Amino acid sequence: MRATPFFAALLLSATTLCIAHGAPLPDTTTAVSTAVSTTATAGAAVATDSRADFLKNIVRVAVTAQPYDFARPWSKRAPTSRRALGTVLEGNRILVTAEVVANATYIELESPDGEQKQPARVECVDYEADLALLKPESDDFFKTRPGVRFVTPQVGDSLSILQLEANGNPLFSKGPMTTAEVVRYPIDDSSFLVGRLNVPLQIRESTQSLPLFKEGKLAGVMLRYDAQSSLLDFIPAAVVEHFLKDALKTPYEGFPRMGCSFSVTRDPQLRRYLGLNGNNGGVLITQMLKDGPAEKGGLRKGDVLLEIAGNPIDSDGNYRDETYGRISLGHLVCTKNFEGEKVKVRLLREGKPVEAEVPVARRHPEKYLSEPYIIDRAPNYYVLGGLILQELSRQYLKEFGADWARKAPLDLVNIDRTQGETDQEARQRVVVLSRVLPSDVTVGYEDLRHLVLKAINGRAINGLSDVPAALSKPEGGVHRVELQGDPSVIFLDAKAVEAVGPSLLRSYGLPALSRLQ
Amino acid sequence: MQPRWLLPLRPVHSRLRPFLCFLLLGLVQFSLTPLVRAADPNVVRKSLARISNTSQEPNYRQPWLPGVTMSSSGTGWVVSKNRILTNAHVVSNARFLTLEKERDPKKYIAEVEHIAHDCDLAILKVQDPAFFTGTIPLDLGGIPEIETEVSVYGYPIGGDRLSVTRGVVSRVDFRPYAHSGIDSHLTIQIDAAINPGNSGGPVLQKGKVVGVAFQGFSGDVAQNVGYMIPTPVIRRFLTDIADGTYDRYMDLSLTTFNTLNPALRAGLGLPNNDLGVLVSSVASAGVCSGYVLPGDVILAVDGLAVASDGTVEIENERIQMAEVAERKFRGDSIKMRLLRDHKELETTIPLSNAWPFPMQANQFDVQPTYVLFGGLLFQPLSRNLLSSVQFQNPRLNYFFEAFVPKEIYKEHPEVIVLSNILADPINTYLNEFKEGVVEEINSTPVRTLKDVSEAFSKPVDFYVVKFIGNGRPLVLERAAVESARERIRTRYGLQREQNLEANSR
Repeated sequence: MRATPFFAALLLSATTLCIAHGAPLPDTTTAVSTAVSTTATAGAAVATDSRADFLKNIVRVAVTAQPYDFARPWSKRAPTSRRALGTVLEGNRILVTAEVVANATYIELESPDGEQKQPARVECVDYEADLALLKPESDDFFKTRPGVRFVTPQVGDSLSILQLEANGNPLFSKGPMTTAEVVRYPIDDSSFLVGRLNVPLQIRESTQSLPLFKEGKLAGVMLRYDAQSSLLDFIPAAVVEHFLKDALKTPYEGFPRMGCSFSVTRDPQLRRYLGLNGNNGGVLITQMLKDGPAEKGGLRKGDVLLEIAGNPIDSDGNYRDETYGRISLGHLVCTKNFEGEKVKVRLLREGKPVEAEVPVARRHPEKYLSEPYIIDRAPNYYVLGGLILQELSRQYLKEFGADWARKAPLDLVNIDRTQGETDQEARQRVVVLSRVLPSDVTVGYEDLRHLVLKAINGRAINGLSDVPAALSKPEGGVHRVELQGDPSVIFLDAKAVEAVGPSLLRSYGLPALSRLQ
Repeated sequence: MQPRWLLPLRPVHSRLRPFLCFLLLGLVQFSLTPLVRAADPNVVRKSLARISNTSQEPNYRQPWLPGVTMSSSGTGWVVSKNRILTNAHVVSNARFLTLEKERDPKKYIAEVEHIAHDCDLAILKVQDPAFFTGTIPLDLGGIPEIETEVSVYGYPIGGDRLSVTRGVVSRVDFRPYAHSGIDSHLTIQIDAAINPGNSGGPVLQKGKVVGVAFQGFSGDVAQNVGYMIPTPVIRRFLTDIADGTYDRYMDLSLTTFNTLNPALRAGLGLPNNDLGVLVSSVASAGVCSGYVLPGDVILAVDGLAVASDGTVEIENERIQMAEVAERKFRGDSIKMRLLRDHKELETTIPLSNAWPFPMQANQFDVQPTYVLFGGLLFQPLSRNLLSSVQFQNPRLNYFFEAFVPKEIYKEHPEVIVLSNILADPINTYLNEFKEGVVEEINSTPVRTLKDVSEAFSKPVDFYVVKFIGNGRPLVLERAAVESARERIRTRYGLQREQNLEANSR
């Protein structure tokens, strides 16, 4: 379940369909009635108009999305459509998961009964936390929609998941929240708190971004659902509320991190080796992000982190959360703090206690050597006489399919996977000769692909933006292009490269020879 | 044109199967004089032998165990007075070999005298000289013409007695040899039926052996595609072993790139004559290291002009430049005319040794090496290991694939993997390290398995193993390991805690 690919939520599989229309209907009916009866215990008034209340604050969201084609970076893929549910929040905002609006070209809101429609735009989006806020064209849309309030879901709570029938009636499924855990979100590098419950869901037109309620208040938004195990992961209110506070700031800052990796210290042999005999907890810092928050705060590789903001850290890297009990310190750092805040930590360095302050900060995707995701943004490229130059990113590697880590060229995968180990600067980009559009200029080079570009005319290439300048000085009328691998060097006729441009545009239907943004 | 290793060092993925053999032997005699009569099965049969091999496959998952025994069979033939030629894959990992002749109830015990896994050929010797009574060595011919008819002799599945099938020569080409998985040599494709058990058998034309049947495609891939090892490869093998040892093929260990592009030619300073191939990389552990540099252009090899696509003309055929080195032996040298920085120069490269790091090839007749310490199993990465254990860590695939191109061997002549953990209280917290690549132990870099063994034999309180990557170190206390030693030995039935010698048998 953790390895669910980015748009997995879209793929509610055929199995779900069978199950939904098969036997379990009675179960679901039971679930619905339980949902209603539980609400009833909260108070008679709520029980009578709860359905209407719910519906007031739910909208259907229809999205047409067109992702960029990283194998042909000048073009977009065929448009696809998604349908999801949005939840109206207080203050005229509509909450959906970020996956719903990824690469959106057109977004439309619909009332549950389908009578009211209104185009909308994305006001704020965080793909790491997988949350987005939508704004309709007109605020009139909110007149009859007061917005929901939040509630903190707890393990053991019974939560209702809302879906919509085609006719606009609500369909509730209900299940107990079993787990609160810090796990990966769809963007591979980001971990946040996730609530999990076991609930059989029926398949309906809109199965993304479903809201979860507890006693009429919003407990979270569905992140993903696994039809086989009936396990549903949701983004709990704590993460949503952090996002909303950040969304008020310009520019959007997002969830801050420490900028170091750590390792658990349960192993008693390791503890004795580290001299941790007298203590119970603490995690070992194994890697520092260069110029990252932890480094700025004076932390060092090899330090043992004992306490964050007054919370003791155990040997598994957990702290005791007031709501969720023992959960990973990741939640403490990223959800309970905001960008730029100084977090007090206590350390053990060579057996001596040390105190420090870490100015926590988010690591922006642009700061990676190989960007973990590129969404809503056109990939840069440069067509050099037919050689297609692109910047390496995980999005580029994902063109090789779900099994990209095995199918993509291994040396490129290795750069992406080990960027945390090898290149801590991460201010540079890796430029790749991805493929060749054969032309007069590229005779003999037709089969070159996925090769790392090192230099052009002796100038190191650390990003596509370095390319035009490097091309300004050909030696003896030829461009010398140095590659990592086979071949190590190729040459292009400078004048011929200029001359072939128009015919490349014409014969391959390119809109432009480059995009450098 | 994709750059390629002149002699392939990289694994070749192919659905080619060596025809592991399941059948008979026969021995045939053929008369020396009338060539037409020699093709008569009754004559050839006297020089044929059915080879039965009881082999033992090494166990890479539990390398302390002796491995599973299996039996298979193939065909062999008398190549000279008292030598039998067959495929290497017919007699690989042999523990006990017997030969049978037709019309002779006796089983003759044989031994491998020479085995060449890189070209899938082997020579057997027979203890009892009586075996050769009445046998006549078959003569070697040349490369048969395309479309001419050939006959395949052997003991394939489907019956017990000698089988002869007939077909024509379809083509002559450089092809991968499936046995080692990484070598390519000249092969001849024929459309005669070749089936399991045919392996090692002679293919005859006009009474002379023109090849040894050795591999083909399984039926769902292609029809009537069989391959034989042609006589230049057989002759090279026989010449190589003439001094008593097989030295393997010499490998230039460099990669090249075409010089078809006019700007590339101009940039390199090449005239417009379609000659010369660009050197893109030179393996530092290979024979050309120090003689050829990346960026050089090879203009000629042993006086043969190299065309811009990397081919040379030999015997009226355009063929990969590699063929020149293919025909050489250890101790020979190869002459190259190079263009370096726009200046021509001549260099003579001594072919001193074959490529020293065969971990990317299938290996046979070797015992798995390993070190077991505190229940942790350390093994060097190899094709054999990867085909027995399904690793999940993509880093291991990278180290395997990049071993030669990225010269991993410079720092890691052996890539040491923590391949498995035999569970015990002392290693219960160590599962996260499984499939990791060892970088150093107690601050000493680990280059080979020997380094692991040595590091663990030092009397220190803590053994601290650092793996490649950014995780924590693995820590084992000596006292804990020693107290667990007997327990682990008994629980898992370990006969030996380490084997450092691949040729220990």
